[in-house]
Amino acid sequence: MTNPSRRTFLRSAAASSILFPGIVNQLLADEEDPLAVRDPHFPAKAKNVIFLFMTGGVSHIDTFDPKPELTKQHGKEIPSDHPSTKGRPDYSRIFLKKPQWEFKPHGQCGTEVSSLFPHVAECVDDIALIRSMYTSHANHYNSTLAMHTGSFTVPRPSIGSWATYGLGTLNRNLPGFVVIAPAQTYAGTQVYSNDILPGAYQGTLVVPGKEPVANVSPRVPVDHQQLELAALREINTEHLATRGGDPQLLARLQTFETAFGMQMAVPDAFDFADETQSTLDSYGLKPDQKTGFGWQCLAARRLVERGVRFVELIDTGSSGNWDAHGDMLRHEPLAKNVDQPIAALLRDLKQRGMLNETLVVWTTEFGRTPFNKTADHKGREHHPLGFSSWMAGGGVKPGMVHGATDEIGMNAVDKPVHVRDFHATILHLMGLDHERLSMRHAGLDVRLTGVEYAHVVKEILA
Amino acid sequence: MNRTPKTSSMLVILTFSCMITATAKSQAEESAANTMSAEARAFFEKEVRPLLVKRCFECHGGSKTEGGLSLASAEGWKLGGDSGPAIVPGKPDESLLIEAINYGSLEMPPAERGGKLAAREIAILTKWVEMGAPDPRTGSEVLGGMTLDEAKSWWAFQPLPEVRPAESPIEDIERIDALLNREIENRGLELAPAADRRTLLRRLTYDLTGLPPTHDEVEAFTADESPDALAKVIDRLLDSPRYGEQWGRHWLDVVRYADTAGENADFPLPHAWRYRNWVIDAFQRDMPFDQFVRMQLAGDLLADESNAEERADGIIATGYLALARRFGHDSDKDMHLTYEDVIDNLGKNFLGLSLGCARCHDHKYDPVGAEDYYALYGIFESTRFAFPGCEAKQKTRDMVPLLPQEQINALVNPKREDVAELDAAKKKQLEARTAAGESVEKLVGDHRRVLAESQVAEGASVPFSQSINVRKGEVIQLTVSPNQSHGADTTRVEWQISETRAAKRSWSVAELVANLMKGNPYPASHGVQWCFLETTPVLMFLAEQRPNVDGNAALKSWGNGNTPWALVNTDDQQVMAWTTLTAESFFLHPGPNRPVAVAWVSPLDGEVTLSGLVADAHPSNSDGVAFELSHIATPEYGPALVKLGQSFPPVEVPSAKPEKRVIPVAYAVVEGETKNARFQKAGEPEQLGPEVPRRWLSIFGGTQVPEDAGSGRRELSEWVAKHPLTARVMVNRIWEWHFGQGLVRSSNDFGTQGEAPTHPELLDFLASRFVQSGYSVKAMHRLILHTDAFQRASATPVAADPDNRWLSHFNRRRLTAEELRDNLLNTSGQLDLTPGKAHPFPEESTWKFTQHHPFNAVYETDKRSVYMMVQRQRRHPFLALFDGADPNASTPARETTTVPTQALYFINDPFFHAQAAKLAAIILETPGDDARVLQAYRRLFQREPTPSEQQRAAKFLHNYPGDAREKWSALSRVLLASNEFLFVE
Repeated sequence: MTNPSRRTFLRSAAASSILFPGIVNQLLADEEDPLAVRDPHFPAKAKNVIFLFMTGGVSHIDTFDPKPELTKQHGKEIPSDHPSTKGRPDYSRIFLKKPQWEFKPHGQCGTEVSSLFPHVAECVDDIALIRSMYTSHANHYNSTLAMHTGSFTVPRPSIGSWATYGLGTLNRNLPGFVVIAPAQTYAGTQVYSNDILPGAYQGTLVVPGKEPVANVSPRVPVDHQQLELAALREINTEHLATRGGDPQLLARLQTFETAFGMQMAVPDAFDFADETQSTLDSYGLKPDQKTGFGWQCLAARRLVERGVRFVELIDTGSSGNWDAHGDMLRHEPLAKNVDQPIAALLRDLKQRGMLNETLVVWTTEFGRTPFNKTADHKGREHHPLGFSSWMAGGGVKPGMVHGATDEIGMNAVDKPVHVRDFHATILHLMGLDHERLSMRHAGLDVRLTGVEYAHVVKEILA
Repeated sequence: MNRTPKTSSMLVILTFSCMITATAKSQAEESAANTMSAEARAFFEKEVRPLLVKRCFECHGGSKTEGGLSLASAEGWKLGGDSGPAIVPGKPDESLLIEAINYGSLEMPPAERGGKLAAREIAILTKWVEMGAPDPRTGSEVLGGMTLDEAKSWWAFQPLPEVRPAESPIEDIERIDALLNREIENRGLELAPAADRRTLLRRLTYDLTGLPPTHDEVEAFTADESPDALAKVIDRLLDSPRYGEQWGRHWLDVVRYADTAGENADFPLPHAWRYRNWVIDAFQRDMPFDQFVRMQLAGDLLADESNAEERADGIIATGYLALARRFGHDSDKDMHLTYEDVIDNLGKNFLGLSLGCARCHDHKYDPVGAEDYYALYGIFESTRFAFPGCEAKQKTRDMVPLLPQEQINALVNPKREDVAELDAAKKKQLEARTAAGESVEKLVGDHRRVLAESQVAEGASVPFSQSINVRKGEVIQLTVSPNQSHGADTTRVEWQISETRAAKRSWSVAELVANLMKGNPYPASHGVQWCFLETTPVLMFLAEQRPNVDGNAALKSWGNGNTPWALVNTDDQQVMAWTTLTAESFFLHPGPNRPVAVAWVSPLDGEVTLSGLVADAHPSNSDGVAFELSHIATPEYGPALVKLGQSFPPVEVPSAKPEKRVIPVAYAVVEGETKNARFQKAGEPEQLGPEVPRRWLSIFGGTQVPEDAGSGRRELSEWVAKHPLTARVMVNRIWEWHFGQGLVRSSNDFGTQGEAPTHPELLDFLASRFVQSGYSVKAMHRLILHTDAFQRASATPVAADPDNRWLSHFNRRRLTAEELRDNLLNTSGQLDLTPGKAHPFPEESTWKFTQHHPFNAVYETDKRSVYMMVQRQRRHPFLALFDGADPNASTPARETTTVPTQALYFINDPFFHAQAAKLAAIILETPGDDARVLQAYRRLFQREPTPSEQQRAAKFLHNYPGDAREKWSALSRVLLASNEFLFVE
């Protein structure tokens, strides 16, 4: 990341005061700045990522994975050996349960999507849909942690942290990794934690509402604040000058200027006043609306526009989400909440010429069972064996479907894609080799994709 | 002495050997050894093997080494290197090895590797070759990622050198400086001058207490010219209670202390604080470190049973083990991950070894096999860990009581005779009340008329209204009954009774609110008596009077036991109790199968209008309540009822909550069912292999836990405490916490993947002294803090030593998250120095945490930051911002990242602004801005402001808009945000 000999030279130049203060000053700051832009391992297709995470487990067979055979076999008993129901006394017998929404082909590619996502359905020609996702745990906590960090057990760095660690950030007035979430998903702040990576790569939480980023609103009038910061700069500069231009002191001195800029840049990113009415309408936003997934999506576009490397949008918290054990009809308001905004985001990015450099990822922690303890049971259980996710933009082949589950939507059988393969592919699109992007920790090279073999899903690359 | 590791070459070798199962001596080796004469074998083991290890292995110790030659096995030298076979057995003259050690065509070992062997050593090898080079080593003797020879000669595992006691303390201090200065001179680095006294005192005080000195302390130290001035200051600081908090925090970092369990719902650990405070206390009283180690692994087994306090301490200390992270939905099912966390932390923390790696396979680099892992695993599987609760099993269990059994018995079972006596009295009273109640009840006969009755659904209310004729002495009674399911049956009652004609007097239960305790019967206006009763199985007054329900003076009740009750909220606001109780209201609360009633005894003959409503005041998913309004139409009943009430005096229930019989417990471990673990293939608990006996690491001898010894924790605690690695690792930590980096910079890894010590001799010297001092941490402090190295001025690193590894100057450092927060509170006069205890977690009985609704809280406190509540699943926002310790994994040293969001904290954070405002208020008590600036600089930086600083401050105050308070708050913010405040020189 940092070339030690160059740093050493710069330090010595600064320390001996030959060049200080001057151009070295800035060079040194770049060297010490963990967020400085770094070259990818190979040319990147996607400069930025918008990662849409649907909390609770979206039913694949009711959204993106049509299963006519499941409808035909509705009510048929199947062996009860499923990971999320095995051993539960009331699940000693299980029966297939048909999808509750109608599927239709859409776009030129003809990809079938259910009536739960009418707007996203119109964008299928831009989407590479993966119908053969699978994961390794039937619990929300573990699978949510894994979808973000690759680990099902202990905390590990989040994918957004890995991306900023690998590539740095393009705008110093904004954090490199932003998570916009109205509430915490499963596993809490661990899903956007830097863990063993340096603190500079932790996700910055934005909670839609009045003050989306902590401490970003000036607490005194800005002209007063400027007086304070000018005095501070003077004091710190004097302090620094008598200490040989110590890089750590210099770096901190400079963060105040960045922070001052953030006070403008952050609200600016979240102030939609300069958006046209038709843009706001497309996201379904009412005037002055400061919450909702439409707000999150438009904010994501504006952050990416401003150079934020990785933006994650989480739709709901760890309760009241897609976890429809009791009644699948709960999918309706949740789909309605995200459908139009997601479609608007894809179109907006495309229209602005940003989609080719921005990778949009849509996913969830697992799917839902194609069966229940009775066929007319209203809900579905957790299903790690097969589910759907999709990607669009940033180097992804548009208008295609990759892989498949079996005829009843139970197992990912054709070209299965594990969570770690999914991660390897996202990193690949960002120009990062998932085997090389690592951090040495406790004698191990820690990687997002872990120790088991992971493959890049080449078929979906443009 | 040559123990420089050769990490780079070893990396290559060791990756190949990771697949080989760990066997200290392979069968092949055994058979080779068997065919060898005892004499030959003894000669090899005693003379040849140690010599090869000592003088040749550095370059020829692996399977593929310099010049292609390995001397690690017979196979190796037979195969030879680039120059052909190294040895022709029996023929020294034809053997390249012998030629080389005699400095023939090759010169081995070369000068930079210690030079030519001694004549005696050459003779040994020559004789060995003459004997036919008997060599039992087959090359397959590997342990984890090293050959056995490499492992046995690994620098960190060697016994500590004998160091003769110093004649005076100065001698040791000078020795440390000499060892450091030698390296500095060798590298031509320039020594920084000694730090000035103020800087030194600030450095010492922050280092040992986490807080700055006062200005007076700086003045006193600067003025103290006595030769022991420094020693006095160090003693003072080591005696300060702040020392234990600061250094205890270091230890809490490496043991990844947290106040929650870390599983899916992140259950709180309400008793973990006892371990935290035990650590602080242990540092404070300088518990010998070996004892400190033993206690954490086996304090419950080692403490003197007869000494109650010591016993409790021993149990609390094992909180170290219990604190291991829990996993999953049902954490009982994922205990294999918890044991891994224990083994991993134990390895890093005490031994500087990454043992956790060996869960799935033999260690790839260090001499630890997967069998070693399961040998330790068995010890912990034979230990019972306190269970913190989890989503699948909400109830905690196996907390360890801190009192001896007899005391517990005394608390739980009050003396039997007392109970019997009490029971007899109660029984007698109950019999009397029952008999009296029955006789009054008889008067009701067939005079009861039901006026109204209704079900009241959950959360609903039902009104009633009607007029009836009554006679004096008759009774109108409103009874509330529970339904099928009882609980959550608090019922709000509004009831007004008005004379229809004549005087139009009226009465209402509302009038009971202000003064419910007046009596039962309750004498109301115009001769009315209200009675609070229960009716099933027999008529009885509610006799117990509670002026202070649940410690809340606004709530008052009449009741019999837990329920039924008649209750009022006297407050003019709603009160949050077991449910939200409406302001200024009257409630009835039936018990299980025990309806409750309020009765009105008529003072008049004539028509009255009854109106009111009955409301379910505690909505839940249950079946509500029912009520009945009835008229007991006989004039004899009322007076008899009132007399019944008056004949039994009320029983006052003490206003304070009755003292709970709390048995203090610890989140700790005790012995469990003894068993050996079975090997788990690839770390999967479902794929079980053979049983592995419980034992110590094989590289350290592999001693087994004796039969009938229990889990083996007692033995383990001794093995760990007395191993030289443990002393080396701890002195290195102490050094790191003083200087900002260790002599071994990878302070959690002393294995082949770690870094070599910069000053191996110094590390060993310190470790030896540490042991000799009886493992006194404070003795180490005294030694290190007196060195010139510690007292040098800090400087910016130079190109020749960019990381200041050779300590030619001191390392400037940023305050840690805790130090920053403590300092802000200290400067503003808000710091509460009383030690923290338990956190205000919700009552355990109310816990219903799930992965959907995990435990989540931030508790505000003005106490020192070491007492803040730290959660595993959700990081404390402040600690996360300023690189606090990772509560999930061992943190040997704090990172210092510098990011703009930290600057935002210093610009806009409300806590920061509040501290600055409080500081301003303190400073403003001094008259005159010049004096105030002086005071501010003394308070924050313990120095006088320079004239130009005075001028700058004056200018700032002049230019900044607003009143003095605003100006001074602003200046306070500037000074508190300055690098001088945040960095220690």
